[in-house]
Amino acid sequence: MNIYKAVTIMLVEDDPGDQKLIKTSLNSQRITNTPVVASSAEEALAYLEKGKTDGSISMPDLILLDLNMPGLGGREFLRLIKSDPQLETIPVVILTTSESDKDILESFRLQAAGYIKKPVALADFQEIMQTLSDYWFTVCKRITHEPNKQDTKCFTC
Amino acid sequence: MENEQKELTVLLVENEPGDQKLIKIALLNQNEKVKLKIVSSGEAAWDYLRMCMTDSHWYPKPGLILLDLGMPGMGGKEFLKQIKADENLCSIPVIIVTTSDIETDIEECYAMHAAGYIQKSATPQEFNDIIQKMAHYWFSTSTLNSRV
Repeated sequence: MNIYKAVTIMLVEDDPGDQKLIKTSLNSQRITNTPVVASSAEEALAYLEKGKTDGSISMPDLILLDLNMPGLGGREFLRLIKSDPQLETIPVVILTTSESDKDILESFRLQAAGYIKKPVALADFQEIMQTLSDYWFTVCKRITHEPNKQDTKCFTC
Repeated sequence: MENEQKELTVLLVENEPGDQKLIKIALLNQNEKVKLKIVSSGEAAWDYLRMCMTDSHWYPKPGLILLDLGMPGMGGKEFLKQIKADENLCSIPVIIVTTSDIETDIEECYAMHAAGYIQKSATPQEFNDIIQKMAHYWFSTSTLNSRV
């Protein structure tokens, strides 16, 4: 199996406790880059907008998105990302406490690339991050997002 | 941390019998409750999805679609484009399973909202491993919307 190359994960999450749990869980994976953490959809959008033109900004290869946040919220953020030709190729995985059928259906309609119910224990978070990393960074071919280049490359090539 | 295993229908759109068999074995090894429906072309996949709308007992709506790109007739990309434009079907995650590792294919499929892009491996054992990892993510970690 492939060893992960440098990948960037963006975490859009307003709860400091969950931010810490997810960051700790990601640190135990074979991911070299520190996750980009945004505490709101607005903050995440500002980062991504800047990344479109600023080559020094590391664009995410995967976004982990909470649904229920003050302000714009996760659903609107997802809708905006998936309708933006420069951002729509980034997979967005929902990570939420909500188990509502409506949220699940709406998220997949908006083209989420997974819907994961937040666990409570650190060990469960770590197991989820392991499965998620295995799928997105070893099983799946991905493209890098380099705004100033026309060409793209695969992670696992 | 595993979701309770519920019966789940997966639609495999693949014209190569050997690959159909390998995927079937890997999926059933990972989750014996998977109900796998196999069709050999984009056209046959559409026929199946149309039947889902009228006879959900014999043609259950898939919770996940595994899609080959290179098939005679309607190819995988055209099928993906059409399913993502259909209001009743666009919520089904579609994972590409193909021999192609051409960068434009990868980019194009993600732009059409594929929920993963898997390259078929050189050896059956490797292929089995990646299909099982894919299945673990979708069946045991992510919630699928097939019940909704």
